[in-house]
Amino acid sequence: MANQKPGKDNFTRNLVIAVVIGVLLIMLVPTLLSKQTNTSAKIPASVSADRGYGIVFNDELKGVPVLDIYEDFQCPICAQFEKLQGDYIESLITAKKATVVYHTLSFLGPESVNAANAAACSADQGKFLQYHRALYANQPQENTGVWSTDVLGVLGQAAGIASKKFTSCVNDMAYQGWVNNVAAAGAKANVNSTPTVFINGKEIDRKTEYFDLAKFKAAVERG
Amino acid sequence: MKKYLPWIGLLSRLILGGVLLAAGLLKYQHLDKSQMAVRAYELLPIPFANFMGIILPFVEIAAGILLVIGAGVRLSALVSAVLMVAFIIGISWAWARGLSIDCGCFGGGGQVEPGTASYLPELLRDGGLGLMAIYLFRYPQSKFGLDRHTSDGDQNNG
Repeated sequence: MANQKPGKDNFTRNLVIAVVIGVLLIMLVPTLLSKQTNTSAKIPASVSADRGYGIVFNDELKGVPVLDIYEDFQCPICAQFEKLQGDYIESLITAKKATVVYHTLSFLGPESVNAANAAACSADQGKFLQYHRALYANQPQENTGVWSTDVLGVLGQAAGIASKKFTSCVNDMAYQGWVNNVAAAGAKANVNSTPTVFINGKEIDRKTEYFDLAKFKAAVERG
Repeated sequence: MKKYLPWIGLLSRLILGGVLLAAGLLKYQHLDKSQMAVRAYELLPIPFANFMGIILPFVEIAAGILLVIGAGVRLSALVSAVLMVAFIIGISWAWARGLSIDCGCFGGGGQVEPGTASYLPELLRDGGLGLMAIYLFRYPQSKFGLDRHTSDGDQNNG
């Protein structure tokens, strides 16, 4: 080390390094904690923590196929999937031919979180499927500011929800903790794109079975 | 030639640091997706991949800031070189196994439509950035940095 300059320069430099790394570490710790499952978070009606915090239909049925559907309300391909397979999946639910678990992921951004929270509120009103349908029918471009909590509250009317409780649930982001739990469970289940469909715990074939009515139906019936 | 080294150093610092900073900030905005991007490589056990998906943007941001302001260049360059080697291994692995994934380099990530993944440009970019990182590790002296250097290129910084 040749010391032509006093150590003052290095003091500034070390201070800068310490501040940069310190600030990032301080931000990292809460981020890591927020990705943990929070078991005390409030959960909406018909949610099962054992089923990855998904919203479950026909939980009580035995010996029928179990469909786990991972989706993000802002994802355009999920909207296409819903358009093509939505009626069939709902018919499985009403005819009690399958257990269906909806996992509302939110990796596309803040408006996905808003929408997932609102969907949870609709489950409390017993109108999840109707609201689910309304969300996809009115899907805007990703994160353009359209899906504010106000708009999502009004959208309840399209699903036949007329309840003050619903609106305040949507506006207060009452199920934000639950939305995080769904995301954490999806990460643990190794879900790497949306939509992702598991039938009895196994993913169906991405190349052929998602967007083909007959093949999707065959996959469900195969179990 | 010695005369120009600090300018090459400055240029490398700004490019490498700028790219890392941008990549880290874009990932930081969608951490769920960042985790998804790491998982999609099918290289690491799921819980570790999820952990890396959160840590990685922070490491990139730290190395990026330090490179741009020129503090602790040698250490930041070493970290960047390790990152680039890891990225090159990951992308090569995905390519060799025929996975259809978005590299998730600048946010994004996860599976994509088969046939739309483009691995070669990503490998070339990361290769180039890796060379800059190695250069900075070897010759960390550069213009307008906070690190103190002697004029004869003695490397005494951390």
